[in-house]
Formats: sequence, structure tokens, C-alpha cells
Amino acid sequence: MFRNFNKWCLAVMTILFLTGSYTAQAQDGGTLFKANCATCHHPFNDGTGPKLSGVRDAWLENADEATLILWVRNWQDAAAQSSYAQQRSTLKGSAMTAFGDKWTDEQILSIFDWIDAQVQDDGSGGGGDAGGAEGGATEEEESSLGWIWIALFAVFATIILAVGGVRRQLKHAQVEVEGDEEGATASYADELKKWAWLNRKYVGLGALVVVIALLVTLFQGLYSINIMEGYQPSQPIDFPHQTHAGINGIDCKYCHNTVTESKSASIPSVNVCMNCHKQIKGNEPEQQAKIQKIYDAAGWDGQKYTGKTKPIVWNKVHNLPDHVYFNHQQHVVVGGLDCAQCHGDMTKQVEVAKVQTHEELNAVQANIDAGINFTKATLTMGWCIECHNQATIAPGILADDNPQTLTYYDEIHNRLVKHNKSLYSKFLDDDKVSPRELGGWECAKCHY
Amino acid sequence: MKMKLRIIGSLAIAAVSTLILGSCGGDPDSPGLEYMPDMYRSPAVEPYVDYGHIKERENPELKTRLSAMTPPNGTIPYYGTDSAEVYLMLPYKHKANDEFRETHGMYGEELSPKSINTYELAATDKNPLALPAESDSLAYKAFWKGAEKLFVANCAHCHGEKGDGNGPMMANETYTGVPDYKNVAATEGQMFYSIYYGKGAMGSHRSIVNKKEIWTLVHYIQRLLNKDYGTADFEAEADTEGEEAEGEEVADGEESEGDGEEG
Repeated sequence: MFRNFNKWCLAVMTILFLTGSYTAQAQDGGTLFKANCATCHHPFNDGTGPKLSGVRDAWLENADEATLILWVRNWQDAAAQSSYAQQRSTLKGSAMTAFGDKWTDEQILSIFDWIDAQVQDDGSGGGGDAGGAEGGATEEEESSLGWIWIALFAVFATIILAVGGVRRQLKHAQVEVEGDEEGATASYADELKKWAWLNRKYVGLGALVVVIALLVTLFQGLYSINIMEGYQPSQPIDFPHQTHAGINGIDCKYCHNTVTESKSASIPSVNVCMNCHKQIKGNEPEQQAKIQKIYDAAGWDGQKYTGKTKPIVWNKVHNLPDHVYFNHQQHVVVGGLDCAQCHGDMTKQVEVAKVQTHEELNAVQANIDAGINFTKATLTMGWCIECHNQATIAPGILADDNPQTLTYYDEIHNRLVKHNKSLYSKFLDDDKVSPRELGGWECAKCHY
Repeated sequence: MKMKLRIIGSLAIAAVSTLILGSCGGDPDSPGLEYMPDMYRSPAVEPYVDYGHIKERENPELKTRLSAMTPPNGTIPYYGTDSAEVYLMLPYKHKANDEFRETHGMYGEELSPKSINTYELAATDKNPLALPAESDSLAYKAFWKGAEKLFVANCAHCHGEKGDGNGPMMANETYTGVPDYKNVAATEGQMFYSIYYGKGAMGSHRSIVNKKEIWTLVHYIQRLLNKDYGTADFEAEADTEGEEAEGEEVADGEESEGDGEEG
């Protein structure tokens, strides 16, 4: 019985082994390619290794299939055997991995089958430079709109003056006929005065309206000085945050990497762009044109770096005057804030970056969760201290998120408990300790 | 009646002129008026401040013509006076391979001669960053939590949060060819080299993460490969295996088939 069982086991294992190796053989060339080759090769783009589309045909023409398979197994052996392989081996600076006996010949060929079955998407979607042209058009429209107003104003002024002139001449004629001396010598100003006096009710009301309107405009103008809300300067490259942070899930801190250790969150240098864009060339012509600007800046000619670099001069979006000290590290690392709490949800920002309005910030989930509701314009002092009053400093979030700062806030809580318990309980009246209560409203925290 | 018409006419003129004056918005690229421009820009040069545009006046001499740049070669930031910390930050002992000039844009920097493959040399490097013991629970938690955050911010969009090479960039097929860490045969020294100088399609990350952070990431990657890495059990195991194993982490990295992203 036991012997039989052993035999059974053996049989089952053999069957399993056979089916296993069968499935391995039938494995899709695409899967093999993605798992093993795609690190260096792309069907249509040169990367670390050359592009592979059409490679098999070239080898069949110049060498044979066996040499190609041998190349995959060990390129040095192949180079020793065939002059074509020898010639190919000088193509790239870096040596290809020798895959040895990892795959059967069929599997290697299945990879090439998969590559040859790929169709290049050259992105000739007909989009053209439509985006750029459109942008120009709207700009033109806006400026021509201004001109229309000025032209209208000129036309109105001409009509009014002309009508006034005709009326005056008619009056002169009338005076000549009727012989009314007084009216004949009256100047424009005299006439206006006379007219104004006759209609003093309407003129007074009108003047009041105009004065109030001007005052309101003046104050609105004064209040809008240095309000950055909605400020959206143009950029040398129309950078869509939505594609990067949204679709591709890149963390803000990857590109703006100094945010955790510096006062400013850096604008990434072009080598950071190239970490991905060396491979990502864009599908639409519009995208390709934008990415080409990165290549020009980095000195990448599609194959290699040429060393001829050119800076991209970005326009700064969030400006704070020098008399305000703001530190990103303090807010991101110590305070544990989410970038979106001040900068809005950039994962949905399709256009270039802008200073989000406080209404947009109020819609950010992290602000809703933290119970922060802004009423003042973004980047104004009112906006800063509003948050310093509403935000919570609790050991809870800090303990989970930032263990390294735990001791600092623990210390503050402990000192309060020890030395000023009544103050501490006053702080905790609203069940939280806010930055304001720990000095976040002291002038010298930000102005010094 | 005529008078009324004229009043309406003059009011219309006033309204139109207000509109026209109000529409003088100016340059959309200018941040606008400032209250006290002389308090807006530091006399000391600050990052990302365009000194060419002060008080609505343009000064072409001072205008920003540069963007963020990679740090100059050989610069060592100040990292305090803790010798252990400073030791970690000393310049990396391996130069980049010669081909990195063209593949990774390392112009104007001293590279290793063609005959020396520094990636191979880096294989025997050991991680100088000591791991906190599991018994020191606060430091232990803080270290691994910090390492995870670092990994998620800097690596996970391609390599995936589990290191399986399946981050969001790969999942939506924006990018191709990121390997599963399991399929990469690299020692910890080579992991550092690859992050520092780049490897294959991956660019150099030395301008983003400093050496201490890279060594932290190297620890974290090894923990992704072996969930016991850095725990008390792991230490004990490594001890019992004696000198021959030279630490579990190396053996672990080489357990795969040896088909790295070489080449």
C-alpha cells in the first residue's frame, strides 16, 4: 500500500513537472520580454540596449537564427563566431547580460515573435501644434477684446462730439436768426454749467454714483495689491502636474525633494526629469515638443548625452516677501502637513501651476479632515494665522507619522503638564493644542 | 426727454471709461504690485528670487538666467559635527564607470578609466549605516518608518511599494522595464552604486537623496527582499551561520538567477 502511494506521488509529481514545463514553454513572449529584456531594450526606442524591432530580420539577412539565439545566451560566444555579431557588439558601450540556458530556443524566438508583432504608435494623431496655436489664439482674442473696447469708446466719443457740434452750430444759426446776444457768446463750459444747474438733481445723483464707484474701485484695487490668489505665470514648459502626480502617482517629494530639509521646496533640476524622460518621449506631437525642451536642456540627443546643456528658467509661482520667514521643512516634517493643504490638489492640475484660491484649498480632503477652513486669500498673513489657529498639534498624528519628532512635542506636553497645568487645560478646552497656543501667533515667529 | 438721454449718455461714458481703466491688468507673468518693494527682497541672495525684477523695474543684469542645477562636483554639504554622520557623507570612494559620461550625462567629472569596472568593485562594499536594534523599539520604529517614507517618495512610483517593479508608472504602462528586486542580483554596495550613479535606464539619484538616505534605502530594499531583515531573529540567524555566509543580506541578494539589469 505504502509502495503504491509512493508511486502515486511520483506519478503526480511527474505530471505536475511536465505541465509546469509545458506552461513555461507556452509562456507569452511579451511576458518574457517585459520581465527580462525591457529593463534595457524597447521595441522602437534605443535605450541602454538598441531597439529590437526588425532586429531578427537584420540578423537573418546578415547572419542566421542560431547566431541570434546564441547572442541572447552569450553575446561574446556569438561575436566570436560571426562577423556580423562582432560588428553589433561594438554598437553599445555596455555589455548585455548573458542569459545562458535560461530559456529554450522556442522561448527566445517567442520573444522576437512578440517584438515583431508590435505596431509602433508614432503618435500622428493629427493633434499637431493645435495646443500651442490655441493658446496663442485665446491670448490674441483677449488683447483684441481690449482694442474693441477702446475702438468703441473712440466711436462713441466721436459721435457725441459730432452731435454736440451740430447742435451748437444749429444754436448759433438760431441765435443769428433770432438775435439773442447772450446765447451766442456762451462757451462750452458756460453751457455745461447752465445745463448742470438746470438739471442739478440728476447731475448731483450721477456725480454721487460716479464718486462712490470710483471709491469702491480704488479700495478694491488697494485690497488686491499683493494678493497672489489665482496667480498663474506662464512657464517655459507647460508642465501638467496631473500627469505626473496624478496619473503616474509620483510623490511630490520626488521632484521637490528639498522640501523635507530646506526652507524652500526646490524646483527640480533637469536631471530629475531625465530619470523618467530618458525613456518617455511622449505620444502626442504636442507632448513630444514639450519633452524635446527637456532634452535640449539636458543635452540628450536621443542616444546619448552630448554635454551641451541649457537651463530651463521656470517662473516662480508662490512668492513671499523677504520680511516673512517661511520654512517648508518645519511644516512638512515637524508639522506633518500634506502638500495639498496649502498648494491644493495638484493631482488634478492640468494647466501650469498656480496659486490655488482659498476656496479650492477648503475643498482639499486633508483640510476638511483637519478642520481647517480658510476665509482669507491664499498667501496672505490672514491666511497663515488662520491655519495656525485652527490646526491641531496632537501627539497622536506625530507619533504615527513622525516618530523622530515625537520626543519634541512630548516634551512640550510634559512641560505644560508639569509647570502650568491650568494653562494646559485651558489649551485643551477645545480638545486640541493649536500652533497658536504654542506661539504660532508670535510676531517674531515669522517676522524677524 | 432729450436731457434724460444725455444723462444716460454721460453715465455710459463714465461706465465705459471705468471699465477700460480697470482692464489695465498688466503682464500676467508679473506677480503684481507690492506694498513695500524694498522689504520684499533680501539683500543676501535667496534661492528662487528673481533680482532682475524689482519695483516693477527690469534689470537685465540681475535677471535669473539659470534654473536649478545639480550640485557642483566635489561639494560636501555641512552635516554637523557628529563624526558618524559626517563619515557617512564623505565623498563616495568609487568613480562612475567611463560610459556614464554619455549614458548618464556625467560630463565634467572624473570617471574611472575604461579598464576598471567600478560597479564590480562596489560589490564588496558594506553598508556603514548601523541598524537600530529591535529591542530599542522607538528608534527601530522610527528608522523603518522613515525608510519606508523615503522609499515611497523616491522609488515606489516605478519600483512599486513592495519592490516588485510594479509601481503606478509601470501599472499604467507609462514606463517599461523596471525589474522586480528579486530578479536583480546586486549586493548592498552595488545597490548603493546603482542609486548613486544610476544603472541602465535608471538615472543618478545622488542629487535627490544623500548618502545616508541611500544607505537607508539599501537597508529598506533588503527588508523588502527578506521581511526578517534587521529583526532580532535575523541577527541571531546571521550569527549562527558564521563567517562563511558573510551576512544574510548578501546571500539573499544572490539567491536569484543572476540576471540583473546588467548591460
